[in-house]
Amino acid sequence: MVSPTASPAVPIVIAGFARSPFTVAHKGALARTRPDDIVAQVVRGLLERTHADPALIEDLIMGCAFPEGEQGFNVARLVGFLADLPLHVAGVTVNRFCGSSMQAIHMAAGAMQMGAGEAYICAGVESMSRIPMTGFNPLPHPGLTERMEGAYMGMGETAENVARKYGLGRAEQDSFALASQHKAAAAQAAGHFMDEIVPIKGADGVVAVDGCIREDTTLDALEGLKPAFQEGGTVTAGTASPLTDGASAVLVTTEAFAEREGLKPLAYVKAFAVSGCQPEIMGIGPVGSSQKALKRAGISVDDLDVVELNEAFASQSLASIRDLGLNIDKVNIDGGAIALGHPLGATGARITGKAAQILNRTQGRWALATQCIGGGQGIATVLEGVS
Amino acid sequence: MTKAPYEPIQKVCVIGAGVMGAGIAAHAANAGADVILLDVVEDAAANAVQKMLKTQPAPLMHPSFAKRITPGTLDNIGHVEDCDWIIEAVIERLDVKKELYRQLAPKMKPGAVLSSNTSTIPLSQLVEGMAVETRPYFLITHFFNPPRYMRLLEIVTGAHTDSFASARIQDFADRAMGKSIVHCKDTPGFIANRIGTFWLQCAVTEAIKHGIGIEQADAVLSRPMGVPKTGVFGLLDLVGLDLMPHILNSFKTTLPDGDAFHALGDAPELLAKMIEDGYTGRKGRGGFYRLNTDDGQKVKEAIDLGTGAYAPAKRPKIEAAEAARKHGPRATLCHDSAEGRYAWSVVSQTLSYAAHLAPQISDHVEAVDRAMRLGYNWKWGPFELIDRIGAEWLERQFTAEGRPVPELLRSAAGRTFYQTDAGQLTYLAYDGRYRPVKRPDGVLLLADIKRQSLPVKHNTSASIWDLGDGVACLEFHSKMNSLNPFILSLMNWSRRELPKRGFKGLVIHNEGRNFSVGANIAMLLITSKLRLWPLIRMIVRYGQRTFGNLKSAPFPVVGAPSGMALGGGCEVLLHCDAIDAHAETYTGLIEAGVGIVPGWGGCKELLSRWSVAKNCPGGPMPPVMKAFETIATAQVSKSAYEAKDMMVLRPGDHVVMNQDRLLAAAKARMLELAKDYIPPTPVDMHLPGPSGATALKLAVRDFINKGVATPHDATIAHELAFVLSGGNTDMLDTVNEAGVLKLERDAIVKLAKTSKTRDRVAHMLKTGKPLRN
Repeated sequence: MVSPTASPAVPIVIAGFARSPFTVAHKGALARTRPDDIVAQVVRGLLERTHADPALIEDLIMGCAFPEGEQGFNVARLVGFLADLPLHVAGVTVNRFCGSSMQAIHMAAGAMQMGAGEAYICAGVESMSRIPMTGFNPLPHPGLTERMEGAYMGMGETAENVARKYGLGRAEQDSFALASQHKAAAAQAAGHFMDEIVPIKGADGVVAVDGCIREDTTLDALEGLKPAFQEGGTVTAGTASPLTDGASAVLVTTEAFAEREGLKPLAYVKAFAVSGCQPEIMGIGPVGSSQKALKRAGISVDDLDVVELNEAFASQSLASIRDLGLNIDKVNIDGGAIALGHPLGATGARITGKAAQILNRTQGRWALATQCIGGGQGIATVLEGVS
Repeated sequence: MTKAPYEPIQKVCVIGAGVMGAGIAAHAANAGADVILLDVVEDAAANAVQKMLKTQPAPLMHPSFAKRITPGTLDNIGHVEDCDWIIEAVIERLDVKKELYRQLAPKMKPGAVLSSNTSTIPLSQLVEGMAVETRPYFLITHFFNPPRYMRLLEIVTGAHTDSFASARIQDFADRAMGKSIVHCKDTPGFIANRIGTFWLQCAVTEAIKHGIGIEQADAVLSRPMGVPKTGVFGLLDLVGLDLMPHILNSFKTTLPDGDAFHALGDAPELLAKMIEDGYTGRKGRGGFYRLNTDDGQKVKEAIDLGTGAYAPAKRPKIEAAEAARKHGPRATLCHDSAEGRYAWSVVSQTLSYAAHLAPQISDHVEAVDRAMRLGYNWKWGPFELIDRIGAEWLERQFTAEGRPVPELLRSAAGRTFYQTDAGQLTYLAYDGRYRPVKRPDGVLLLADIKRQSLPVKHNTSASIWDLGDGVACLEFHSKMNSLNPFILSLMNWSRRELPKRGFKGLVIHNEGRNFSVGANIAMLLITSKLRLWPLIRMIVRYGQRTFGNLKSAPFPVVGAPSGMALGGGCEVLLHCDAIDAHAETYTGLIEAGVGIVPGWGGCKELLSRWSVAKNCPGGPMPPVMKAFETIATAQVSKSAYEAKDMMVLRPGDHVVMNQDRLLAAAKARMLELAKDYIPPTPVDMHLPGPSGATALKLAVRDFINKGVATPHDATIAHELAFVLSGGNTDMLDTVNEAGVLKLERDAIVKLAKTSKTRDRVAHMLKTGKPLRN
């Protein structure tokens, strides 16, 4: 049996990160562009920027939370075709809702431990404009719904539950959201997104800039918003991540492969974990999964230099930060999903890639990327700097 | 039909993005034109387009029509070069307008028409100094506010006007914009505002003279006289008090000496003070009426014309007004009371003014009446009102009071201004002879058919008329055109008898304010109170069978609605083979408002429409979700175009802009369908069953959480979810139409058993408004 704190036998690295601009669903610049077209361009962009040889890729693992319609069939395989990957490069689509593309990274790392290849593209995609969040044909199990209220509970309601359970008030959530917007706007102004964004040729022209960030927002504006999910509640459209269109991809390889191919790794994948929790408070999913992953990496929260915690909602972010004892100054320094957007299937790869990128940029040692997942789960990845 | 000797209007430029300019631009977009909206102020046009999307009542018939409007400034004046019609709607200053025309003239393409929306400046002055080559293409087109909703368009042409240019504009205004065109002579204020302003000013000054409160004034001058309930003071609040001084001054300077308008006197000092204090009407802090919210409650207050103080508005029961209910408007005018004397004073002066002026401002009295009906929403124009109160009586009153009797009134003594001659409506012309009221080519009115013939079949609530060419028309004429057993029986009779009598098909149409407000729900209340559940089930089934009979009839049925088509009225349309809808059709399945689900096949029809819709994703849920969203939220279209989004109108159904052309369009459609007609076959649907209902219930839960749905809303929505999901079906099975109809019946009976549904029905019957319990 492998010790929980053991390092991977085969060192795995994040060797590249790319994403599309994230734009607001329905009204944004990518709304009229097919999701498979978006992610295919991101995959191409990742390969071009990293100079990785496509012929050496084992598999394209693609996360998608509602894999139907234009992101249906086995979209990973189809994106392989669209991105002109060699035909021998395989493709698989995975679904762990919001954790899907982080799961893709875990699967790649796990496979490489088994000697099953040396390089994987781990991508994620979601067009929330073109495929509704419940899918086109939601058919929940009537008996289960009756028996277990949380099984299909709407995410907004879970965010309210978390806010209530943790006593998180409106002001605290508004401040958190405002900070996210400011951090994202500052990162954008500092050019921190330039390296990661692949301009997308869309149905309405080339899109090269994020569309969700509200750099002008104020506390007054946030305070003026009505509760979005519950009468008398505290969660608003301003303290929730917006419905978003976008895609992301990371190149995950063995360290040996990266060295051989002359790639520039951003970070090591040190440990990861998934966990389950009560679906009614799914937002605290990061707590259990992060604790497991940190333990497996043999470090504590105090060791972390960088944290990317997906901001599905301000309430669950704050609750997770509190329960994990995270230093809030180290969380989402380039802004989080409240500002940048949360294209469900694409977020996991974005925050893992982002954590690796910041680790590299700030010469830090340890990073954690973690997120909550609808239905009551958490997922977490611990990265270690390469320097 | 011969081809018109001009190209249709495709591109319109409106200059001036004020209230009228923006409204005209929006309506030109409604009419399908590409529109350029220009203003001298930067961003004014762009802001106006943004504002259109938020304004209620909406100037646009569909939000997407905003894309047809390109805003700009006068720097873009060169863009008029490919416009067919340029409408000037700038400030009422002759010098500004003339300078604009000077700039525009060289940029207009050959044959393009320039028109002014002036409401005060005569054509003769506007064309002074205009290039001779531009004059033939210039005219006045005077729209009324709001341009989408007011059907009147006054047109003034001169001897110089090219007849094709004028015809080209009229054709577009009539067919594409749906306007009823009234030709006016070139006199100040044309027709409607000339008479309307006199009436308003007279009503204000006389109210002060008579010491009448504004509530009393509005009570006697509105309904009893066939005027909207806003009356005079309510209308002034709506129009905007700040406009009044401009209009009054304009008339003061342009009307000839001796015009009775001058004798009315100036606007009261109170008006100036109100405007100064920001009381400019509904757009400001209030006007003659205001809503006082100081105590946290909305209290409607009315101003005292003497003191300027506001007090809670009374809803007086005025005998003079009540008298008209039983005995017509004359009873109000002769009522021996302060209000009666006031009404007589205002109405007699207004009618006298109209009768005196009519020959100077119009070609005939029908034009004057139509202008007042369509421009001021009067039920009767002045001469129609005179016919109701009696021309001879009026003449006697004038004589008795020593007032001059207008020549036109004298010529009508012992006669009426309108009469029917061998089924033809005629009006009394200025030469003292009766002439036929001419309808524009292609206009077919049920009113004319009714004058010319007897119904094929009729009862107290509905009639069948012969429209000619083998087309029958089913007309509802019950109270508010609500559906009742009499109407249903005539539908069943039609199915049985029309083919035997040689009819090729049926058009369902009426010329009431509303197509139908739905089923008469009084019966539902009585039967549910008496717990007559089998009877309720039977009534619902009878409606379902009747509508099913219409649908499966061996002849085509075309629905031709205008105004509201709600609940059962919408279900009638859903069972038609095709719909030709007036653009101003407000339709939806609003049954949830009275605590039930659509029970006469509405659920079934909306489901089957979405099941075959090309823009609906595959799988069992999307049609169910679409129908659920529409019905559970009691969505009502704000135009026929929105009804297409809701799928009440199918993609191939037609929208008719001009209400007067609706019946002819529906008749033509029916005849087209009658060629090789095969009745539709019932549809089998794949529905999701309980899993689908569960998904919908989860959505309802979110609405409850948000506080936008009440517990009884949820109860109704759950029943609706069960019906639309096909009950306990499995998605591998099919549900036929009869199966969905049974689910509708079950749901109605189940909901009728709840006290909250009964409360909703009772509340609607009592107040006309839905109860949210």
